[in-house]
Amino acid sequence: MLRTALRNVLAHKTRLIMTVLAVCLGVAFITGSLVFADSTAAAYRASMARNYADISVSVTPTLRPGASDQEQYGALDDTLVRKLSTLAGVASVRPEANGSVTLSAKDGTPIRADSMMGKFAAAYVPGADGKDSRYPLTAGRAPRNSDEIALDRGTAATADYVLGDTVTLAKDGPVLKKHLVGLVSTHDSRVNAGGTLAVFDKVTAQKMFAAPGRYTQIDLTATPGTSQAELADRVTAVLPTDRAEAITGSAQADQQSVLINTKTHSYERLPLLFAAVSLFIGTFLIINTFTMLVARRSREIALLRAIGATRRQVVRSVLGEAALVGLAASALGFLLGLGVATLLPSVLDTSGDLLPSGPLVIGPTTVLAALAVGVGVTVLAAWLPSRRAARIAPIEAMRTAEQPPSATVSRIRGIIGLVMALLGTGLLFSLSDATSATDDNLQTAMFGAGILVAGLIALAPLLAGPVIRLLGRLTARLGVVGDLARENTLRDPRRTAATAAALMISTTLVSGLAVINQSTNQALDAQAAAGLSADYIISTRNTTTAIDSDAVQRVADVPGVRTASPVADSTISAGPYVKAVSGVDPKTVDDVMKLQFLSGSIKNLAPGKIAVSHSFARDHHVTTGEQLKASIGPGTSDRDRPYTVIGVYQDNPTAQDVLGYRADVQEDSYLRDSVQRILVRTTDGAVSRDLEKHLRAAVSDSPLLKVQDRDQLVQEQAGVAGELMTMMFGLLTIGVLVSALGMINTLVMSVAERTREIGVLRAIGMHRSGIRHMIQLEALCVAAFGTLLGLAGGVFGAWKVSGLANGAIPQYSFSPPWATLTLIVALSLAVGAAAAAVPARRAAALSPLRAVTDA
Amino acid sequence: MSHTFPSLSSPFTEPAAHASGLTKTYGKGEARVTALDAVSVEFARGRFTAVMGPSGSGKSTLMHCMAGLDPVTSGSARIGRVELSSLNDRQLTELRREKVGFVFQGFNLLPTLTALENIVLPLRLAGRRPEAEWLETIVATVGLAGRLAHRPAQLSGGQQQRVAVARALASRPEIIFADEPTGNLDSRSGAEVLSFLRDSVRELGQTVVMVTHDPLAAAYADRVVFLSDGRLVDELDAPTADAVLERMLAFEAQGRTT
Repeated sequence: MLRTALRNVLAHKTRLIMTVLAVCLGVAFITGSLVFADSTAAAYRASMARNYADISVSVTPTLRPGASDQEQYGALDDTLVRKLSTLAGVASVRPEANGSVTLSAKDGTPIRADSMMGKFAAAYVPGADGKDSRYPLTAGRAPRNSDEIALDRGTAATADYVLGDTVTLAKDGPVLKKHLVGLVSTHDSRVNAGGTLAVFDKVTAQKMFAAPGRYTQIDLTATPGTSQAELADRVTAVLPTDRAEAITGSAQADQQSVLINTKTHSYERLPLLFAAVSLFIGTFLIINTFTMLVARRSREIALLRAIGATRRQVVRSVLGEAALVGLAASALGFLLGLGVATLLPSVLDTSGDLLPSGPLVIGPTTVLAALAVGVGVTVLAAWLPSRRAARIAPIEAMRTAEQPPSATVSRIRGIIGLVMALLGTGLLFSLSDATSATDDNLQTAMFGAGILVAGLIALAPLLAGPVIRLLGRLTARLGVVGDLARENTLRDPRRTAATAAALMISTTLVSGLAVINQSTNQALDAQAAAGLSADYIISTRNTTTAIDSDAVQRVADVPGVRTASPVADSTISAGPYVKAVSGVDPKTVDDVMKLQFLSGSIKNLAPGKIAVSHSFARDHHVTTGEQLKASIGPGTSDRDRPYTVIGVYQDNPTAQDVLGYRADVQEDSYLRDSVQRILVRTTDGAVSRDLEKHLRAAVSDSPLLKVQDRDQLVQEQAGVAGELMTMMFGLLTIGVLVSALGMINTLVMSVAERTREIGVLRAIGMHRSGIRHMIQLEALCVAAFGTLLGLAGGVFGAWKVSGLANGAIPQYSFSPPWATLTLIVALSLAVGAAAAAVPARRAAALSPLRAVTDA
Repeated sequence: MSHTFPSLSSPFTEPAAHASGLTKTYGKGEARVTALDAVSVEFARGRFTAVMGPSGSGKSTLMHCMAGLDPVTSGSARIGRVELSSLNDRQLTELRREKVGFVFQGFNLLPTLTALENIVLPLRLAGRRPEAEWLETIVATVGLAGRLAHRPAQLSGGQQQRVAVARALASRPEIIFADEPTGNLDSRSGAEVLSFLRDSVRELGQTVVMVTHDPLAAAYADRVVFLSDGRLVDELDAPTADAVLERMLAFEAQGRTT
């Protein structure tokens, strides 16, 4: 039977093209994401191997929270360097003073300001030859004093600096300005993939990143014949206990690899989701194709049965055909996937992680996955049609007339569909009272939505009749062409439903996401504005950088500023949770934040006291007047101390989870006595470019700081949902693409099946344009049906789920994005029209003679 | 029934369709086949003409060319005064819609439409409203009252062909072409359909051209023309089945001896 299958595939190759394309799309996404992950991991490993090639052992200070720099780095001094260099088995010793600085480009824009990573700083530590082998100079000379700096040449090019320029930068506080005296190169892949590197003279780097005369790390190279572990043991023996530790180079590389694997795997998620959706939608296309092929070949199959083929052989022949199609699709998808893998880095925003580039790596798992998925999905989807083929009785070979497709839809299917749809609806309704997005509720929501969609898919053939008849009222205006289009769509409701299902699923997903996205955005907008009465916010981008403490006074002195209220941000750990704490001044905070206290008052805030947000109070079971054991900053639980809760306020993104007394927070925060935000209230709420410029000047134009008015803040909040948008439009594109393939497929087949009928229409007087319009209207009917069903499912689901968001975001309200929904509908209908183009033209070109000559 | 065509009550004696020197060839070079070889024939108004001939004689091709379904290679094919070769596809379509009716061997009804919808389809395509009285007349003539709401799949072959006849009559075409209309029917249903075609000529003044290879069917016609090897070889007025059979046998004998 395999030969029959092969012959059939070849005979129907044009019929199968759409199926191959649909499966191939899904396989491409899978291959692409796997190859991308493998390649990135391999490139990382390669670069790690390079980075750690000449490091056998590194000595680093033992992390001691709360210790001063002098205490922290005290052990790593030149005495230790000399001691290490005399150890047996040490070939060379290289002390380092590394850290991170943020650079401003020549035009003042900060480089990689929003990223925590990839902003490297190092000391220029000359070796015996007076040069630092890690940072070979390509131009100029090495920095010699605290006024000078060298940059990686790529970094300098990005920032537009040339030798002799003054470079603006900041570590974690005040702005620094230094002369650019040299350009260096490095083999650090992270720098070469878009990171920045600033090189300082040794003394300056030590002061900045360690302590005077101390290092952040000492790297050792072993002599040949000395293993890393041996050397590490010897080094550990001479290190002061509890102050420094030795780690082998390979252990460091391993740690990095683990980190990299987690990261690259997180990049796989989106393409794999796309693959799942496209394959799921593609399943309907496969089922449709094989059902149509089986129907078209029913006489041939009956003949096979009549001459002695068993049912099982018929099934096997159909499945064999599916397997061949799946194989072809997998092969094609695999090749396409390599393209996807090369494109992925630019589609996904990976700049934050500085992925190194390297050759594509194709692992055996990837090949197997592509094959298994492509062939598996196709064969599974073809199973149903193959059963149908097996049911064809041998007697049908004797029938002369074609059997009209049955318009009946099994009652069992209807009942199952109805039960599922009702169950899904019920589950979603059961969440109406739920106001919090607990995992249980979310699971119920997902489950409910899934069952509802599955129910709709099962019900679709039954719904096709009424819905398309309703649509037919519109097409009826187009006269007999409209009537014929409507009747043709209704002819085989199962086929119509399966064709529409693709569009239905993608529309459900996308419209649901669009509604949730819109509602969330509006809530975030409302929320960002709601909690804030300040007109400007000056902020650092994270809790480990600080605003220069003198700056608070300078900001307060800017003409037009009424209040400048400093806020110290840190984390607060209570039990297993780590939450955000804002250290505020009780006197001025009321002027810059809109705090709604459910109990207590901010006036009572004093040392040792905190106010907590409503959700924090709920999660930690505390109320006003009670005590809470917690620690602020990077502390551990042994540093917990009791805080008295003096009030509970309505959740407020500006105030964060906990409000503390500023001095309390500053004392224990990541950077002692630092300020992370200045909330500025202007006289009469004035906002102007000049004022903004003065405020920026007051904080020395630091690249670490953002100066934003309320509108800018709201815009930034809206940007948070960016990834959701990427996903939404990605899904829409895939859904639309696969649906289009499915629709073309169905239309081409249905035109082929109706050659005679179309010939008759032409013979008795329908114009070519009439035929074309008829086919186009059929496509539009199917597209409209799928879109309507999907829209109903998506919007209903989103409406019911919206209750869950209420707990998390108080300002959340169900607000459908009409413009986006209209766009989705328009796009879906356009797909219908576009998909019809070729089949319609083909149908219109048929000769009226086909009425009599085509058997 | 005294219904007649207004155009036929005029003293206009021009034939309903007319072919002169009609030649149709398929293929090129070696593979060239001449299906019709300079055929000249007239189909008179208000008459029932049968076109007969063995298979491969070109009788179906003649019908396709005369009905504007297949373009001619050379010569002239006219319906009324309209020369078909001068028309483009759009005009041909309109001509078929307005002036030609078809009855096919395989019924060729649209499966999605009811009997009534099938009958009025050519009128609707032309954007015309069916006249209720005329519709009743033809429905009564073909005996379909009570079956009008059925779909083709719910009708027997004979009933389907009667719907097809009614469809051909609905737009009062100048000429109806019937292509082996009884080919797929049992003898009783076939006889019924042939009677309806004859009645439509006798009582409604219709013009019918029927292609057939069945002498019994040809006997219903007023006149039979015989085709052989793409040429018009004979004709017979007021035929009987025996007379037709005799001629046919004669051609075949001739074919064998030459």
